[in-house]
Formats: sequence, structure tokens, C-alpha cells
Amino acid sequence: MVGMTLSYEARKQLYLRLLMAPALLLMAGLIVFPAFYAIALSLTNEALLGFAARDSSFVGLRNFTRLFTDPLFWNSLKVTLIFVIGSAVIGQFAFGLLSALCLRRPIRFKAIFNSIIVLPNAVPEMVVGFIWISMYATGEYGTLNRIVGWFGVEPQQWLFSFPLMAIIIVNTWRGIAFAMILLTSGLESIPKDVYEAAKVDGATDRQIFFRITLPMLMPTIFLYMFVSTVTTFAIFGLVYTLSRGGPANSTEIIGIYIYNQSFTAFQLGYGAAVAVVSLVISMLIGVFYVRALKVKI
Amino acid sequence: MAGGATVESAASQRRGNLRAYGILLFISFYCAVPFLWVLVASFDAKPSQFLRWPEDVTFSNYSNLFVNESGMLWLLNSVVVIGIATIIVLVFAGLGGYALSRTRAWWKAPLLYAIILVRIVPPPALIVPVYKVMLTLNDGVNATINAVVSDPSQALFLSRIFSFVDGYLGLILVLAAMQLPLAIWIMKTFFDAIPVDYEEAAALDGASTLQTLRRILLPLALPGLAAAGLFAFISAWGDFLMPLMFTSSPELQTLPLGLFRAFLRIDRIDYGFLTALAVIYTLPAVIAFSFARKFLTRTFSGGVKG
Repeated sequence: MVGMTLSYEARKQLYLRLLMAPALLLMAGLIVFPAFYAIALSLTNEALLGFAARDSSFVGLRNFTRLFTDPLFWNSLKVTLIFVIGSAVIGQFAFGLLSALCLRRPIRFKAIFNSIIVLPNAVPEMVVGFIWISMYATGEYGTLNRIVGWFGVEPQQWLFSFPLMAIIIVNTWRGIAFAMILLTSGLESIPKDVYEAAKVDGATDRQIFFRITLPMLMPTIFLYMFVSTVTTFAIFGLVYTLSRGGPANSTEIIGIYIYNQSFTAFQLGYGAAVAVVSLVISMLIGVFYVRALKVKI
Repeated sequence: MAGGATVESAASQRRGNLRAYGILLFISFYCAVPFLWVLVASFDAKPSQFLRWPEDVTFSNYSNLFVNESGMLWLLNSVVVIGIATIIVLVFAGLGGYALSRTRAWWKAPLLYAIILVRIVPPPALIVPVYKVMLTLNDGVNATINAVVSDPSQALFLSRIFSFVDGYLGLILVLAAMQLPLAIWIMKTFFDAIPVDYEEAAALDGASTLQTLRRILLPLALPGLAAAGLFAFISAWGDFLMPLMFTSSPELQTLPLGLFRAFLRIDRIDYGFLTALAVIYTLPAVIAFSFARKFLTRTFSGGVKG
């Protein structure tokens, strides 16, 4: 008669554990366990083809010593860093903040501007890559070439001459909306009377922006930086469609490097070692932000 | 002097508005131009890689997609896979979010932090180990099917549905798992805002926990479920990595993979087919996004800040 001796509250707590079990099991099985399994795999010479495919063996830290002397790995880290800073930290943020500030002014057609800016965010990453291939098409009829032609610039081979800049422009384009929406809500939470007091004191627009708006927007900016750095760090499909990491590894962000090493070069063990490094980096970013944001639960 | 000051500020106000129009026009141009080609070319009888005004406007790219090519099959596959994955996310995250919100235990805070970290695991880092896990599960499933069913065509049919690699079940579960962390956070913060009194009153009236969940909490939780479901749908619908990893048979292809493989026919890319397919693939995401927009801020600040 255990049931009789348990209080309503104790029975409820037991029942709650049952309710959360399916979700926790699914995440544990397909995310948490694989993440730890990646560590185990990274210590083997596991491969998709050849001897090691049938009979992989423990090789200790060999994958990691190879990794840290592999110029392609360092290249991929550098490309990822530039990609994240260029698109998430600078591009999306600058355009998003500009849009949010402009849309706060008493102007017309706000809803139209708003919908147009938000649209790129709704498009699947496959389609994003695909429509930008047409934008960047080479020759004088390529859309971007025609646009720069208005300003007298010669037609360019965008994806060959400026590959990393090209993917940064695409990802910036895609993420303006998220920055704009988040920063708009941040701006709305700044009390109006602070601005009025500043105007009475004769502050200029520039002073108001740097002394009031920006400091009071800091918590929102910080939150935005967290979400956008971790999502940009995890990007795969968008760049894979556009360039597959090329030309000559110039756009090989870390997600693509893992994929290429594992499923193009068939070196699962080495791919797993890169995956472990990328997991560690994103966990460090996560822990840093969670502590800094003082997440309350 | 006071009058002078207001005149001056009205002028600077106008200048500021003009500058705002200029900036917004520039950003809107940047955002809108890439869409022109995909829209226009999908109605062009002789489409190319370049943006141009069509000489003949036609719907044949769309009809070709559904009549001659496998567009309908890919669309159905996408709807089935993403639809079921979204339902799984809703049920699991609804129950899990409720349970996490009401649980009182020392491990609650660590578990919630862990879910945040699970949420930011980059999917490309998981492809190798998930692939190995799925292969192992796959062997188990197919051994079971072969042990139970003797007819090979029946066995093949069952294996298409329940396989973890190159089958519906694996793709559905892995897509659902990736969306769960955010969905659970949304639901947990949502239930945190619903007072516990309702449930306690129902329990005093003799309702079972399941009855309480269905009759009282479900109607209250609908807005939260709508937000969680929309975000899960949009993210899973747009995902390309998982279908790329876990489907190889043509009859299992979903829209992103169909689009990608059509694009790989380098020697004979049919731009009419591609652009029409891209438009069809994009529409559901845009519609879902237009509904999801109003939840966006609350969800992201709630999901991370608690």
C-alpha cells in the first residue's frame, strides 16, 4: 500500500518525472549521447572505407595531434571566426539596429518596410543558397554585376574573387530580421521620460544615442550576440549550397570541414575530433553567456 | 527663442525622417532583390540563371513539377516527415515543459542549464556519432523486421517506414530531437506563468492528472504550443543537413534534398523546374513565419533568460 502512504504532492512529483521522460530520453539518445560518443570516436581511426572501416582501433590522441598541426583545420577556425564576426556580430547587428532605429521614427510605409526586411529570415537555407547563386552569377547579366554596373564597376566573379565576403553578405541578409525584431523590443523597453529629460537638458541626438540608448540597450544586445553567435557557428546548409567550402577551402567553416573530413574523405575518427573541438567551443560560449546573462530558472 | 528652438527641431526631425527613408529603402532593396529572380523565373517559359523579364508567362513550370517530375512525392514526404516530427515535439515538449515547470527537486536547475547547452550543440558536430548511433539502431530494426515478416516486399515496405537510416522513422526522430530543447524552454516558461491553483482545484474535485492536463492545462497552454510548434516546424522544414545524412532512396526524398539533387544535374539544370520547386518549398515556411513573428521576441528572451 505504498500509494496510500505517499502524499498528493509526492505522487505528483513522481508522475511529473514520468511526463518529462520521453523528451529527456529523445534528447539524451540523439544529442547528448552522440556528443559524448564523438569523444570516444575521436580517439579511434574509424573510417567509412578501407581496413579501418571493418576493424577500427584505439589510437589515443593521434587525431588531435594531427588536428593541431593541420593547416586546413586552423584555416577552418579562422574562416569560421571571420564568418561569425562579419555576419552575426557586425553585419546583422548593424543593419538590424539601423532598421530598428529608423522604424521608430514617425514615417510612412512602416509595415511594408518591416515585411520586406523580415522575409529573408523565413526562407529555408537551401533556397537562400540557391537564389544567391543567381545574384552572384558571373558575366554582365548577373544580377549583382548589373547593380554594381550602375556605378561603373566591372563585372566580377563574386564567389571566386571574394568568396568569404560573399557568404558573409548572404548570412547578413538572412539575419537582419532577427536582430531588428529583438532590438526593437529592447528599444521599446527604454522608458520615454529618460529621453524627454535628456532633450530638456539640451542633449544632441548623438549624445542621446551614445549616452542613453546604447547603454540601456546593452542587455538586449548581449542576448542577441549570444543567440546569433551560437546559431551562426552551427550553420551548414547555407554555405554548403553556395560554395561547399570552396574555392580552395576559403569558405570552409567548421561545420563544412567536419562534413568534408567525415563523408568526403571518409575519416570518421578525424571528423569526430574536429566535432569535439567545435562542441567544446560552443559549450564555452554557452557557459560564458549563461553566467554573464545571469540566467534565472 | 523657444519658438526658434521648435522650428529648428522640426527641421531636424524632417531631416532625420528623410535619412530614415533612405536607410530603409537601401536595406529593403538589399532584402528584396534576391527574391525577384526566383519568382520571375518560375513563371518564365524560357528561364535562365539570370534575372530578366519573361517573354512568355507560363504556369507550365509548376504543372511540370507535379505532373512529370516527383514534386508531389517530395512535397508529401516533407509534409509527412516534418508534420509528424512537429507533433512529436508538441507532445513531448508540452508534457516535458509542464513537468519541468512543476517539479521541485535539487536537480531541476542543473537540468534546465543542461537543456540550454543541449540547445546550442551545433548539429554538424553530431553528424558522425549520430550516424553511427542510427546505423546501430537500424541493424536492430531490420533484424526485427526480418525475423517477424517473411515476405521480402512486405519487409522492404516496413523497413522504409521504420528504418533509422534511409527510412522515415530515423529522420523524423532526429529532426524532432533537434527542435526539443527550444520547445521545452518555451513550454516551461509558459507553464511557469500559469498559476498552480487551477490544477490543485481540479485535483480536489477528484480529477486525475491526465484529466487535469487535458481539460484544464491544454486549453490554457494553446498559445505556448502554437509558438513551440511553429518554431519547430520552421526549423525542421528548413533543415538540410539531416535529410542529406539520412536519406538516399529517391522515394524518400523531401523537398530540400529534391531541390539540391536537381541542382546537381550540372549538365542540364532546368531553371524553371528549380525555381518553381524553390517557391513551393518556401511558401509553407513564409506562412508559418508570418504567424510565428509575434512570438519571436518573447520566445527568445524567455528561452534564454528564463
